[in-house]
Amino acid sequence: MDIPGISRTLSVLTTLFGISIFVFLVLRVIPGDSITGAFGIETGALTPQQIAELRVYYGIDQPLVVQYFSWMQSFLSGKFGFAYSTGVSVATLTKSALPVTIELAIIGTIFGVILGIAIGMFSAKKPGSTRDFAGQLFGLLALAIPGFVLSTAIVTIMANKFHYFPNGYEYMTPWENPWMNFQQMMFPGLVLGIAVAAPVMRTTRSALLETVDKDFVRTAYGKGVPNNKVQFRHILRNSLIPIVTMTGIQFGYLLGGAVIVEKIFALPGMGRQILDAIMKREYATVQSSVMVFAIMFVLINVATDVIYRKIDPRIKK
Amino acid sequence: MKISQRRIRGLVAIVASVAVISSSLIASAPAQAASKDLTIGLTLDIDKLDPQGATSFATVRALGLVYGSLVEVGPKLDIRSGLARYWGFNAEGTQLRLHLRKGVKFQDGSTFDAEDVKASLERILDPANKAAARSNILGIKSIEASGLKVVLNLTTPNVAILAALDGVNMSMLSSNDIKAGTIGKTVNGTGPFKYVSWEPGQSVKLARNETYWGAKPKLDTVTFRIIPTEASILSALNAGSIQFSVITSPLVAKQAGSNLKVYRTPGLAYVALQLNAKVAPFDKPGVRLAIQCAIDRSEVVRTASSGEGAVIGPITSPAYASNPNARPCPKVDLVQAKKYLAEAGYPNGLTIKTMVAPTQFATASGTAQSLKAQLAKAGITLEIAAVDDSTFISRWLGANFGSAVANNGGRIDPDTMYTRYFTSTGNLNKVAGYSSATLDANFAKGKSSGRVSDRKAAYVAISRELEDNAVWIWLFSPYEYRVASKNLTGFIPLATGSILELRKADLK
Repeated sequence: MDIPGISRTLSVLTTLFGISIFVFLVLRVIPGDSITGAFGIETGALTPQQIAELRVYYGIDQPLVVQYFSWMQSFLSGKFGFAYSTGVSVATLTKSALPVTIELAIIGTIFGVILGIAIGMFSAKKPGSTRDFAGQLFGLLALAIPGFVLSTAIVTIMANKFHYFPNGYEYMTPWENPWMNFQQMMFPGLVLGIAVAAPVMRTTRSALLETVDKDFVRTAYGKGVPNNKVQFRHILRNSLIPIVTMTGIQFGYLLGGAVIVEKIFALPGMGRQILDAIMKREYATVQSSVMVFAIMFVLINVATDVIYRKIDPRIKK
Repeated sequence: MKISQRRIRGLVAIVASVAVISSSLIASAPAQAASKDLTIGLTLDIDKLDPQGATSFATVRALGLVYGSLVEVGPKLDIRSGLARYWGFNAEGTQLRLHLRKGVKFQDGSTFDAEDVKASLERILDPANKAAARSNILGIKSIEASGLKVVLNLTTPNVAILAALDGVNMSMLSSNDIKAGTIGKTVNGTGPFKYVSWEPGQSVKLARNETYWGAKPKLDTVTFRIIPTEASILSALNAGSIQFSVITSPLVAKQAGSNLKVYRTPGLAYVALQLNAKVAPFDKPGVRLAIQCAIDRSEVVRTASSGEGAVIGPITSPAYASNPNARPCPKVDLVQAKKYLAEAGYPNGLTIKTMVAPTQFATASGTAQSLKAQLAKAGITLEIAAVDDSTFISRWLGANFGSAVANNGGRIDPDTMYTRYFTSTGNLNKVAGYSSATLDANFAKGKSSGRVSDRKAAYVAISRELEDNAVWIWLFSPYEYRVASKNLTGFIPLATGSILELRKADLK
């Protein structure tokens, strides 16, 4: 007997457990440790006694199993481990970094969905025409241009030509200074949005082309429903399932894409937190941050399912 | 195609809206901070508050403005008084007497005296504290402190120890703080600025120290802002969001706008192809010499560093700098290179491997690629393994490499620069892969005399032995760039990389 939700929950927990083990092991396999991460080449000046003391301090003198469960216990207790280079818990760092990344991902998704659907509709209206070619060319370019190139180009042009780089100022949350926050998030959000727009545009175009030939569309036109109404209420609405799926997947990928964009735009988000922690071999910070990303990915999938049901009541059963 | 008026009006409205929003954004960029508030861009965050344990550039630069050391290195790389007003060695060079400044106060208001010096130096020497500069002052046998006088008794004649007393790692701490165990938790220095706050991953804030012993700093505050890439830092400088930064990439520095000034300083650091003489085929001097003869250093500077850098020999300390032309094959000699290879048993050439960490320094990958292209002409195939910084350091410290493209820091004294690498008991000798009785003797000789001419002779001999055996392939010394907005005045760049002279800077 399959109890609804139980098997799904079990599969989610198994996935998260697998990710935790994978990240934990990968970090231990790659050369270097917290000592070389903190002391650099000066590690060579440390005596064996000092190195032994530091191994105890960083907790890397323990067997791997003990290290894993010690971190997992801390993660489950909500502290997420200790970030040695800053002297605070990883949860404290995450508390300030996570909202930045979530805000960036939401803005990127909004930009991406608006651009992607608009260009997808623009293309699908006359398949094979010049406008379709232009739309598809945008999709191809958006996919082909890496985010770091686009980010660097925007930053360089805006700073050199217009002396405008709001990200050079202290980061402001939307509550501290909404206008400044908007300025600091706008360009990184646009870069991520363009990356999201390409697959959304392609999905929108093919979904619309599939729907446009359906009987109910012909009926709507036959009944004299205005073109705009048919486009949005009949065709777009009935094409939303694949678009929502693609957007959900892209939102997950945005979290990864944010790593580079946050770096170039100097945003103190999760991506930067992970990158810095990898460089310093701060195991707890990397592991806990990756787990937070993984949990978010799972939650997005659940949210996508909920949206499906709203869009298409038939999926409820 | 017919375009309706309605559509044209819509298009015009969209374009106008975009233009208005863009111009309002640009116009609404926050006005530059109050005139005496300096913001410095750093690519990395600081990683600790204990100056004696600081190893990252970010930590060294930030805490260097907060703490003080007994001596300082001046713009001409001369040793100047710091917290010690004057000093002298005994005739044998086994005792250093230091006379401290009067009236120096820590930022908590307590007075600085000889007891603080004794406690600070003992803290560095205690292995439990993992102080970064411990190996530089191991020659101290005992410390006597009385009032404002300190006597350092040394195990052997060692005039080089004076230069070792400079820098953040030799910061003088309050003996009360040391006793209370608050070092690294609270910040209490004698420097020109005092610590205000640290927001991890974002910024470090300092404010003027009103009780500073030197001329009162003109800047009200100094904020270090974390902007993770040098290209973004330059954009922030061009936009006026920050006013100062240290840039290492010549390519980035060259893009500085006309609203900025660039201080271009030859540094003490050097880029070298480190060869591990304990690993085949580098255990054969002929192979090392063949590499030496096959490389045109100027070509490396041109191709990897946009022509920015100086060809150097092993020692970059200005008073004792090696002559780069006094080496086997000062110019490329492929015939000689092939001859060396044949004598070493590789008449048909060979394949060697090198590791490089592309993010370790700006010209790392370019240097490796330039070496690969040049060595190919001598029949040497260079295989490049690109690794991340931590992997590089881990393998480097374990001497788990054949060759490595490295950027090592230099010092104003060759003793502190190379003793740890090339003496048989040096803590990085395993990494250097080479030592000899003559090198040991010359290093001992170099630090035992107070006369520059005597010391010079010892370091010329050291330099010659390192080059004649092609122990490493010393390539070039990269320039360092301090980029500042034009309204920053009075700043003097130091070749040591220190930004301490911001204490004299002003924002007009």
